[in-house]
Amino acid sequence: MRLVYILYGFGILFSVAGIGYLAAEYVRYLSEAGKLISLLLTVAMFAFLGKYFEGLGW
Amino acid sequence: MVARLKNLYLYLALACLLGIVAIFVFDGYMGIYDTVYITAGEQEQKIEADSWSEDNGIWWSVGTNWGEKVFFRYEVDNRQFSSYSADIEVSVWRSQQKVLDLLSEQIQIASFNSGLLEWVVDTVELEPVPPEQTYEYTVIIKRGELEQRIILYINYTPKFPVPAR
Repeated sequence: MRLVYILYGFGILFSVAGIGYLAAEYVRYLSEAGKLISLLLTVAMFAFLGKYFEGLGW
Repeated sequence: MVARLKNLYLYLALACLLGIVAIFVFDGYMGIYDTVYITAGEQEQKIEADSWSEDNGIWWSVGTNWGEKVFFRYEVDNRQFSSYSADIEVSVWRSQQKVLDLLSEQIQIASFNSGLLEWVVDTVELEPVPPEQTYEYTVIIKRGELEQRIILYINYTPKFPVPAR
């Protein structure tokens, strides 16, 4: 079971690193309005994820 | 009801993620993009729109010999829902002084369409380069408020003696 969690950890780490890299690479192509909306959506996404995990009892 | 609410938060988070991806794809594609093709000698260089960004700090350059011509193709891609018009001015500068006017035109491009302009720098119209030297000129392309610069290196062309018959 511990191995599964370690693999989950790696998966999450690589996903976050990959999305972070793509965002950093392509954010310069966005307009100012696009950047602002993306930022607001990112904040909202983490807030909803937080509420979801809170509901799960984490 | 509680389980549905929990899942609702997850769906909302997923919707936000999809929104971010959609903005990156859509907003990244939309806009005005210009590409310059430069042909000097037998080589063609392509300078794409993102190469011009100020963050990159890239100055493009092209070299040729005095007496030869440098051909430019300038493509403006309008990826907007409205038509786009701008004044395009192209000139050659040296030591902060304008040497030559190459082009002054207004372009009108329909939405999701592209416009093409062409011009030639004939180096014979510029000052002859003395032996063992290279002159630097700047080709400035002005599109509305935007300014793009290309450094033009012109080398001395040695005159070979014509063989006697």
